[in-house]
Amino acid sequence: MTPRPLTLITDNWYDIRDLSNLSGKIEELIRDANGPHWAVWVVSALLGAIGIVAFIGGVAIINIWIERRVVGRMQSRLGPNRLGPFGLLQPLADAIKLMQKEVLQPKAADGLVFSIAPIAFTVPGIVIMAVLPWGRNMSLARLDVGILFILAMSSLGALAVFTGGYGSNNKYALFGAMRVIAMLVTYEIPSVLALLGLVLFSGTMDLADMVLFQEKFWIPLVLVQPLPFLIYFISSSAELNRTPADLAEAESEIAGGYHVEYSGMKFGLFYAAELINAVAISAIIATVFLGGWWFYKLDELVPGWMIFIGKIYAVYFLFVWTRGTLPRFRIDQLLAFAWKWMTPMAFANIIVVAAEVLIWDETGASAGLVLPLYIAFNMLFAGVLIVAWVRFMGPRFSRFPDRLRYFDRIDVPSLPAMRAPAPAAAAPKSGSGAPARSASEGGGDLRGGRLVGGPRP
Amino acid sequence: MPIKSEPVEVNIGPQHPSTHGVFRMVAMIDGERITDVKMIVGYLHRSMEKLAEERTYTQNIPFTDRMDYLAAMTSNLGYCLSVEKLAGIDVPERAQVLRVIFAELQRIASHCMATGAFINDCGAWQTPVMYTFRDREKVLDLFEMTCGARITTNYMRIGGVAFDVPDEFLPALDMLINDDLPFRFEEYDQLLVGNEIILMRARDVGVVSPEMAINASLSGPMLRSAGIAWDLRKADPYSGYDQYTFEIPVGYNGDSYDRMVIRIEEMKQSLRIIRQAVHILPGGPHKTEVPLAIRPPAGEAYSRVESPKGEVGFYVVSDGGAAPYRWHVRAPSLINLSVLKEMTVGQTIADAIVTLGSIDINVGEVDR
Amino acid sequence: MITDTGIVIAFYVIGASTVVSALMVAAVRNLIHAVLFLVITFTGVAGIYIVLSADFVAMAQVLIYAGAISVLLVFAVMLTPTGDRRNAETSFQAPALVLAGLLLAVVVFVIYDTDWRIASRGQFTTTASSLGRAFFSPYVVPFEVASVLLVAAMVGAIILTQDEDEEAGHAA
Repeated sequence: MTPRPLTLITDNWYDIRDLSNLSGKIEELIRDANGPHWAVWVVSALLGAIGIVAFIGGVAIINIWIERRVVGRMQSRLGPNRLGPFGLLQPLADAIKLMQKEVLQPKAADGLVFSIAPIAFTVPGIVIMAVLPWGRNMSLARLDVGILFILAMSSLGALAVFTGGYGSNNKYALFGAMRVIAMLVTYEIPSVLALLGLVLFSGTMDLADMVLFQEKFWIPLVLVQPLPFLIYFISSSAELNRTPADLAEAESEIAGGYHVEYSGMKFGLFYAAELINAVAISAIIATVFLGGWWFYKLDELVPGWMIFIGKIYAVYFLFVWTRGTLPRFRIDQLLAFAWKWMTPMAFANIIVVAAEVLIWDETGASAGLVLPLYIAFNMLFAGVLIVAWVRFMGPRFSRFPDRLRYFDRIDVPSLPAMRAPAPAAAAPKSGSGAPARSASEGGGDLRGGRLVGGPRP
Repeated sequence: MPIKSEPVEVNIGPQHPSTHGVFRMVAMIDGERITDVKMIVGYLHRSMEKLAEERTYTQNIPFTDRMDYLAAMTSNLGYCLSVEKLAGIDVPERAQVLRVIFAELQRIASHCMATGAFINDCGAWQTPVMYTFRDREKVLDLFEMTCGARITTNYMRIGGVAFDVPDEFLPALDMLINDDLPFRFEEYDQLLVGNEIILMRARDVGVVSPEMAINASLSGPMLRSAGIAWDLRKADPYSGYDQYTFEIPVGYNGDSYDRMVIRIEEMKQSLRIIRQAVHILPGGPHKTEVPLAIRPPAGEAYSRVESPKGEVGFYVVSDGGAAPYRWHVRAPSLINLSVLKEMTVGQTIADAIVTLGSIDINVGEVDR
Repeated sequence: MITDTGIVIAFYVIGASTVVSALMVAAVRNLIHAVLFLVITFTGVAGIYIVLSADFVAMAQVLIYAGAISVLLVFAVMLTPTGDRRNAETSFQAPALVLAGLLLAVVVFVIYDTDWRIASRGQFTTTASSLGRAFFSPYVVPFEVASVLLVAAMVGAIILTQDEDEEAGHAA
């Protein structure tokens, strides 16, 4: 191994690049001390869990600030900037406020269900973090079926939202709950199919192996699979309740939806869990599409988990961006979008990917030759599909034209009251005012003057 | 095999983020579809029309601020016009032009608010609201510069305007209408008018047919979106609107999207009017001196102006005393709201919110 | 035979919670609560699969049963008129009991009849790929038959729910 410029990054236990060395050291220590063999597992599990929970705690605090500042910038305002440097303490103040608030529970609410929902909503986001590869050997639980685990867990989150909406015994909350359920059924399919393409291409369901695949061929999978990236991004933003698809909350329609009855820290838990879930989904995208902790040669200089967190926040910025930019779909439009566009596209993509993998396996061509070809073809394929859909299947509006007409003079029709000027009736009092100025303009055909805009197309 | 479903009665408002104040509608909803809507108004009723009978004509001007508090200038103007008509007062030329400038600035401010709030009802996460508010603030800065108030301006007077504009007003206005706002309106065009999601959400939503619009006596962008070219500034010019060149944008479809686009286009036309008005702004007095406690001769007068929301008309009856004998306001918000049921029944609850947002009601004016 | 203490504890904890929540599904009177208990049951079954090192099956269990099937049940409950949403107030109680008893008898019979081969703990293979091979080589016919059956069910569901008025509206 070549000598490194910094003494910190050797393969010793204090190497910050790879925290797995630390747990390896602990394992050695326990073994030397003749500790029971399960203690190794317990200690490393605890270490990883503490690390992840600490990260999540930080995320829940920091992301509130990031989201508000970034969206503030997008909305040409400053965002929180008073409390602490750059307003960094604002989330803490918000958390303290939420803790102090009384947690109200509607009398007719379904007590236990109502209370369990925020907790159940928080769990999946945290559990997903456990299977992610944070560095070269840094997964708390390395599963053969990591991708399936992620999909399974993220589908449970929607069920928790339903629980909250149903338990509140509020019509708005029930609307939100039913929308969540409808969206879950709809968006599971394209997101599973999108990830299936990646699984086919990389030949593994293990998240760590997927990162290693990308490291081996020196290519982030988003380049090879642009269409699944789009599909997964859109469907996960629907699962996350973020703005183009925040139908379960729909502040302007159903006044907050499933969490309309929650207050105090129960609401705070929903709020924090939403951010945690967003980070979890960003982390999934960063792992499977962007190469996780790997970034060309950078991971020799910078700890892998830092690269990973950087990628997470790059994806998270995309989520904030769409949230700050786009209005909301209607529920039927969103569902139609998923069924009529994303699902067929995902299927088409799977067929293409399967063919590509087959060709690669059969010809045994070198990666350097095959991958650029595949990148070019898949980019073109995605572009053609999107353009074709917009052109031929996109939203149609029944009545056109869109453009307005402009009039610079208006032919005034005379209104019925003005047509028969009866001076005595119009001005009963002998005032000097001119109560019926328009009366003198009388005459003219009412019917002809009405639709001065001309016949409708 | 039809699936049996139970309609649910959902109470939207008066405490709801998208009812633009304390308007309440009780909707029967079957699934996501609205089968019936009951409109309930009156939560902001302040009995202004009755109160006005106890106050002098000048004292009534602040009431008009508080009706449509997003377009105080035009309400002021309409009321002052009616009293002037009743009392036969002439308004000096400079005051006429100043009135036009401020009425059109107010139209920009109000349409900014309406557009932003409408997109918010479409579900955008506050961004368009912030953009339009930013531009509205600049207009309100000009108001503050002139009369000290931003919302409830109380600027028009019987016989003119309350104050002449300060020296720094015209340069500031020049910068606003030539450098700032045209660029912003281009931005709205890019951000909103071609936006696919807004098209999907607002096209064919809340459709008003021309017949319905006329039968319900709608006015303003509601009427023009239905394809009827009607604007009081052209049809019944007041305050010298006939000397300006401008155009009335008219839609084809009568849907929410047309109303939004018409508002954006009207803001551009308002800029045109203001530019011409600044150009011809004459010197001279800004006000005809009238006694504070003016006693118009007995009689009645109705005068109407094109407020941002439609035709706002003031009907004043005088018995020769210092206070009006009867005062009635034709509030465009209330009358435009009256077709809400026809517009929303059969749509989804999300469409109903969009429709309500596109009507651009102001509950202060609905309830008075 | 599983001898690892941790695994044994995990098995009993998961098993107990699964059985209890399965009982609660039948016992609670609120249908939505029953569905939520069913979700716990499904998740518990997935836990048992994990104890048996069948990761893929466990994840599929959570994804399909806890995630999707329970959602369908929620839909079914929500489409039920409010008055009928009471668990256990039905005239099918007695037949259901009989059916459940018969099912139990079958399961018990199978358990006793099977010649259990106790595998020694060998090398674990990834279950996903071996399952995939099994589906596409020895069991390809049942697999395809199942998919045809599902398509038939789907077409049937579409025909059942199609509204004649709506169809006429589309044609017009």
